[in-house]
Amino acid sequence: METLAVYVPRLITTKEYFAPGHRACMGCGEALAVRLVCKALGRNVIIANATGCMEIVSSPLPYTSWEVPWIHTLFENAAAVASGIEAGIKVLRRKGKYSKKPKVVAMAGDGGTADIGFQALSGAFERGHEFIYICFDNEAYMNTGIQRSSATPFGASTTTSPAGKVSIGQATWKKNMPAIAVAHDIPYVATACPSYPFDLMNKISKAIKIEGPAYIHILSVCPTGWRLPADLTIRAGRLAVETGIFPLYEVEEGKYVLNVDFPRLRPVEDYFKLQGRFRHLTQEVIAQIQERVTAEYTRLREKAARVRDNE
Amino acid sequence: MIEIRWHGRGGQGAVTSAELLALAAISEGKFAQAFPSFGPERRGAPVLVFNRVSPNSPIRARVSVAHPDIVIVLDPGLLYITDVTSGLKEDGILVLNTPKSLVEIRSELSGPWRLAVVNATSIAREMIGVPIVNTTMLGALARATRIVELDSLTEPILERFGARARGNVDACRKAYEETETGEPAGIVPKRPKIFEGEELPTWQELLPGCVLTKPGSARQYRTGDWRSERPVWDHQRCIKCGICYLFCPEGCVKQTKEGYFEADLYYCKGCGICARECWTEAIKMVEE
Ligand SMILES: Cc1ncc(C[n+]2csc(CCOP(=O)(O)OP(=O)(O)O)c2C)c(N)n1
Ligand code: SF4
Ligand code: SF4
Ligand code: SF4
Repeated sequence: METLAVYVPRLITTKEYFAPGHRACMGCGEALAVRLVCKALGRNVIIANATGCMEIVSSPLPYTSWEVPWIHTLFENAAAVASGIEAGIKVLRRKGKYSKKPKVVAMAGDGGTADIGFQALSGAFERGHEFIYICFDNEAYMNTGIQRSSATPFGASTTTSPAGKVSIGQATWKKNMPAIAVAHDIPYVATACPSYPFDLMNKISKAIKIEGPAYIHILSVCPTGWRLPADLTIRAGRLAVETGIFPLYEVEEGKYVLNVDFPRLRPVEDYFKLQGRFRHLTQEVIAQIQERVTAEYTRLREKAARVRDNE
Repeated sequence: MIEIRWHGRGGQGAVTSAELLALAAISEGKFAQAFPSFGPERRGAPVLVFNRVSPNSPIRARVSVAHPDIVIVLDPGLLYITDVTSGLKEDGILVLNTPKSLVEIRSELSGPWRLAVVNATSIAREMIGVPIVNTTMLGALARATRIVELDSLTEPILERFGARARGNVDACRKAYEETETGEPAGIVPKRPKIFEGEELPTWQELLPGCVLTKPGSARQYRTGDWRSERPVWDHQRCIKCGICYLFCPEGCVKQTKEGYFEADLYYCKGCGICARECWTEAIKMVEE
């Protein structure tokens, strides 16, 4: 586990840029992720936010939870809107009409990132805009009632991949969005989870300084969609990391660094046990998933080791 | 036509109850509707669900119910945080889940309406094993209002709940037997306001493009009434590390002058994360 530094309020700002009064479910890991991200981003930002839980719970007209400039975009174009803002600022600065340099940030859920906003995102990476894209991955389309996305993990029961007599739930493996971001050769890619808050905030601080696109993929535990007691949100996130299901790593200029590693991973079942969406899984399926998680984790470790050896 | 408004919390099954009621009414040859009000509120938040039942003519209205004949409240706590009688007709009836007796409730809450009370939480715990009262309250509703026959509810419940149906049917029947009804009298209690301070802007005052110029205005909005448990801090055990502050999804844990922490109950939704994550077990969740 990450060393939890004592006396937290002395280490991070006590300012809240994501104000309370938002309407996320109690115990929402995505709301916590947004809160921590905003603390790390600070005031000098402009955020473009695709629709999804976080947009809906934070901005029921005439209220807003945002304490920083924030624009709601459509589902499919958060990255395109962010690109436009970044390009606009560049031009205004060149013409001497604007002197500030706010960091441009795009945010979306896993549906808005891995499925619907995917081409806008790929385009923005390819054009090399200087912005941070943050995917809040709660592993389904939660805002509209738990429909599967391409980031839903294998075996999870959702309303459109329901487990039953024949179906084991989601029948495809989770799309590897961070790897796709890496394949665009962008300068910075990282995974994070609010159960490791300092790691998460460090990565945001790092991304702010990157010239060019940065992609941060945050596992955001959703007690409602994962069928999990609300007080176990942090624990579930920790277990996702400790089982190797969601490893925390960074890829800087193509070089992999595993930020949190364990001599031995916990069995994936420890993570599944907590959650109703995996309750139906048989030992056979769990073994199948275990094998895949172990193999992927080993590959990731090797990539990180290669970087260490070369340095 | 009879109009009904249900008050529950997200996740308590009010939508299911309303649907079952409509199915029961339709099975008796009546016309019926059931639908929730759609908002961004999530699990634990107060929610509204509506029914319309008409004995002999089709129902054309598609809007939410503003002046109900019947109001039914699933969660005892809601009585003190939302205006459940808003718009209730003078000859209407209020059906409450409460551990209190009719006499006690009468002294707290009054108006021209009739009252019906039942301890649905205890019945549901006994018959179903969980404090989910939606089917139990259907029994109370049938008894207090005769809007449908008790027997008409059985079939829809059996169909909806499958293997778990028996307990639900029994709970519904038990509530039918135990519901007390009577006339209210006394003074109307003061209800807390949901919105503090500023009035909501009118549509004329909103800027084009839905531009909001007041950052963080959501701070006015109380989410504390979603809570059924509250965190309580034991200073003896607290080492003032701030972990509870760090992990609160609402950002509503604050440090006091003495360096201890406490929740701002205006926002705390009672998720229990702070209590779960405190390593010295200094925080306990207690029922509201
Ligand atoms: C083009 C389009 N299709 C569908 C919708 C309806 N819709 C709004 S939010 C949402 C789900 C969002 O899911 P995700 O991006 O995973 O974010 P989450 O709510 O899980 O945080 C959907 C389907 C929409 N707004 N626009
Ligand atoms: S559905 Fe999930 S992600 Fe959305 S607000 Fe609720 S807990 Fe958060
Ligand atoms: S987590 Fe526990 S010990 Fe730490 S400040 Fe909060 S109450 Fe005190
Ligand atoms: S229970 Fe604790 S963590 Fe949850 S909202 Fe209240 S103060 Fe925050």
